[in-house]
Amino acid sequence: MSNSMSDMTIVLRSLRTRALATGVATGLVAIAVALLLVLLSLREAASQAFRRGTGNIHLLVSADASPLVAVLNGLFYANAPANPISWVKFKEIEDGFPWQWCIPTQLGDSYFGSPVMATSPDFFTDFEPVAGSPFQFSDGRAFEASFEVVVGAAVAADRSLKVGQKIVLAHGSGRGSGAGAEGGHEHADHPYEVVGILQPTGSAHDRALFTDLVSTWIIHAEEKREHPAGASATEQPAAPKGPSQASTSDAGQESAHEHDHAHDHAHVAEADLRDEEKLITGILLRIPTRPGSDSSASIAAQFDRLRRDVSITVAQPAQQIGRLMALIGDIDWLFVAMAVVVLLSSAASIMLAMISSMELRRRQVAILRVLGASAWRVFALAITESTLIGLIGAGIGAALAILGGWVATTLLAERVGVVVTGAVDPRAAILVAAGAVVLASIAGIVPAVKAYRTPITRHLRPLA
Amino acid sequence: MEVARLDVPAGEQALFAGSSGCGKSTLLHLIAGIETPESGSILIGGTDICALSGGARDTFRGRHVGMVFQTFQLLHGFTALENVMLSLMLGAPTLDRPRIRAEAALERLGMLELHAPVERLSVGQQQRVAVARAVVTEPSVVLADEPTASLDPANAATAVELIRGAAQAAGAALIVTSHDPSLRSAFTRIVDVAQFGLPAPAPRVGAAR
Repeated sequence: MSNSMSDMTIVLRSLRTRALATGVATGLVAIAVALLLVLLSLREAASQAFRRGTGNIHLLVSADASPLVAVLNGLFYANAPANPISWVKFKEIEDGFPWQWCIPTQLGDSYFGSPVMATSPDFFTDFEPVAGSPFQFSDGRAFEASFEVVVGAAVAADRSLKVGQKIVLAHGSGRGSGAGAEGGHEHADHPYEVVGILQPTGSAHDRALFTDLVSTWIIHAEEKREHPAGASATEQPAAPKGPSQASTSDAGQESAHEHDHAHDHAHVAEADLRDEEKLITGILLRIPTRPGSDSSASIAAQFDRLRRDVSITVAQPAQQIGRLMALIGDIDWLFVAMAVVVLLSSAASIMLAMISSMELRRRQVAILRVLGASAWRVFALAITESTLIGLIGAGIGAALAILGGWVATTLLAERVGVVVTGAVDPRAAILVAAGAVVLASIAGIVPAVKAYRTPITRHLRPLA
Repeated sequence: MEVARLDVPAGEQALFAGSSGCGKSTLLHLIAGIETPESGSILIGGTDICALSGGARDTFRGRHVGMVFQTFQLLHGFTALENVMLSLMLGAPTLDRPRIRAEAALERLGMLELHAPVERLSVGQQQRVAVARAVVTEPSVVLADEPTASLDPANAATAVELIRGAAQAAGAALIVTSHDPSLRSAFTRIVDVAQFGLPAPAPRVGAAR
């Protein structure tokens, strides 16, 4: 004990004497605050994950049914786009405006359920998955030749892929156990060499693999020429001569390239590709802007110009994601409302904890009054007690949320390779903590008024 | 209850005698200013406490009145020393070196276990802490409400001596209430509280609110 006593000593002793009630009330506030902060940060993380993925793209062209579908498919790999765009159309769009860049993409293949995007090498240099931070390689380099593949961070971590490994991609986006799972069909005679691993970007691109367009075209052209019926393997999973038979026992790595099919292969070289075999599913576009600016009047103009072409769908990704978040936003406010209810109930529990100990406190209040404390001082002591519970609870809760968020994001980044940012917004933390403290003080008013109005004499008589 | 006039001069020690329920405690609480009379005035050292506002009366009580209760009414969770220091902090914050004063008050009463929580002290030790707490602020008047009621006769005599000695040392007037006739021999001034009672037992007596 120090050389002097203060009102704070009285408050702290009083809380300590009723350690159980104090602990329960503090714990409830901590849980409520942590829950509220985690919910808010999950909300933030989800919307960030969507906002991030569109990167520095201005316009997205595809043959999907709607702009939103185009964005979800083309930038978030929701599904492989069903309708292709011809190379001729791509050239026409590329030459139709002095774009800052114009990148063709082709989706449809997969590797253990992860989407494979065939694109041009510009994708790594010009497209930024998160505006302002371009792709970076944690190992290796971008693809330079056919049948080289660059792997997103999450896929590399998930499947333990390393530079130099050979992998086999599957046609279609089978989500099963192997590369050639049901619905898919392995390109077993064309293994790809892993030449680069990307650093995590915190966007959907971490879950994808990237190859050049020519390899993809060659594989599909060979298949088309082998099966002139034109039916894709997706529709004929039980085709007796399907290359998938050769390696169903193998998950698709390494040995798959040792194919020895009895039948003749129609090997196709790049030069042999016909124009109608050069199909893509999307075009990423960026309009030149002034340095430091991300917008240009030309975006809207080009959007309107391209929209007149009914054979394609044009989307402004940022706008589409904004619309999507507006849709989701209404739902996730429910979670926030739930957390607020939890916070309110913890305030009620502070009030209950303090009122239930009121009989004990009344004697204490009476003694303090006899010793010369005014009713106001006693009122202030009671309010301070509940405020302190709110303060400590909010502190513990915020620490729990920040620590939990840190652990969760670290684990996600290390184990899964997913970067979730904005764990707990400090402003939100301060706001929520302040709210908890205010609520706790309000909860303290009723017991404080009771303390204020405690008649001294009745509580000093010996218990009869 | 009706009191025409009752004086206890400075430094005097008085026994307010009477059977249980005759209004001894009420009279004491009126003097302490924790109950208010329907009419009239109560002067302590020239100050009419009935004319003071609630807060001022609390402050005045803290500074000028020391109270000892039958059940001691010590604050649990605090040590013996802290209980005494609380009295200084709340009642006489202007007095310097509160810790030294509190230690001295306890030691004068033979209380040496300063740092034990009061709820673990013996009855005799608690009594000493209660008395030390009442006199440490150097009050004008010490009020002791049935200080012997829960003690055996031998301890009761010791307790009364303790309180009387402490009040005298502090230069305070002392009023002790008791229903115990054996205490009468110790006091020269004895006030029979029953005389203030109205003819019919009045249930409204002493109702503070």
